Amino acid sequence: MIRVQPEPWATMVAYAQATYPNECCGVMLGSIDDDNKVVEVAINLENAYSGPQNEHYEVRPEDLLMADREARKLGMDVIGIFHSHPDCDAYFSKTDLENSCPWYSFIVLSIQNGTFHHANSWLPNEERTHAAQESLEY
Amino acid sequence: MAKILIPTPLRQFAEKNNSVAVDATTVGEALASLTTQFPDLRKNLFNDEGKLRSFVNVYVNDEDIRYLQKDATAVGDGDTISIVPSIAGGRC
Repeated sequence: MIRVQPEPWATMVAYAQATYPNECCGVMLGSIDDDNKVVEVAINLENAYSGPQNEHYEVRPEDLLMADREARKLGMDVIGIFHSHPDCDAYFSKTDLENSCPWYSFIVLSIQNGTFHHANSWLPNEERTHAAQESLEY
Repeated sequence: MAKILIPTPLRQFAEKNNSVAVDATTVGEALASLTTQFPDLRKNLFNDEGKLRSFVNVYVNDEDIRYLQKDATAVGDGDTISIVPSIAGGRC
């Protein structure tokens, strides 16, 4: 189960709406206790994809490195990545799966006509051939 | 000794350490030392051919080893090795 606290959730939704009709991305920091994850901080990252950003996103590894350092400084863990799907549901697409990392939770925010609609969290398997839906609270 | 920072989800395979000190002169030696010490990390970092998995990037301090000497990149006292995944995606 992954629970996003109100402040990071507001950050994520605001960023996803502000970047519409493009996809946004960011990293989530917090704490992990067995399978219970609590997101306490959301860091907005620049979508580094060089092509059409309304249908793709890319996280710069350097940005993730900085986020990992920030997490260590705060005594937190890197829990996962969030990104938006403009005018699409919050599924985990084939592109999402093939370019994911099995170590993290992936929250997808569906933005419909510029407004947040719904969100889901996904856990890719080791081979990145399937993603299981993870219980999400926000 | 160089220090390898262990990403949160991999700490379960490294006796919950968030970093591991290794005695090595190159990145390749450092990662070999790490995975010898913690064999369960191997499948998370390397493919069946023994190469780093496609989404795994390795940094020495602030530099991606792909732009240095890859596995042969020198490391020494005070250097920090970070394991950073590549992540991307898209709605289509």
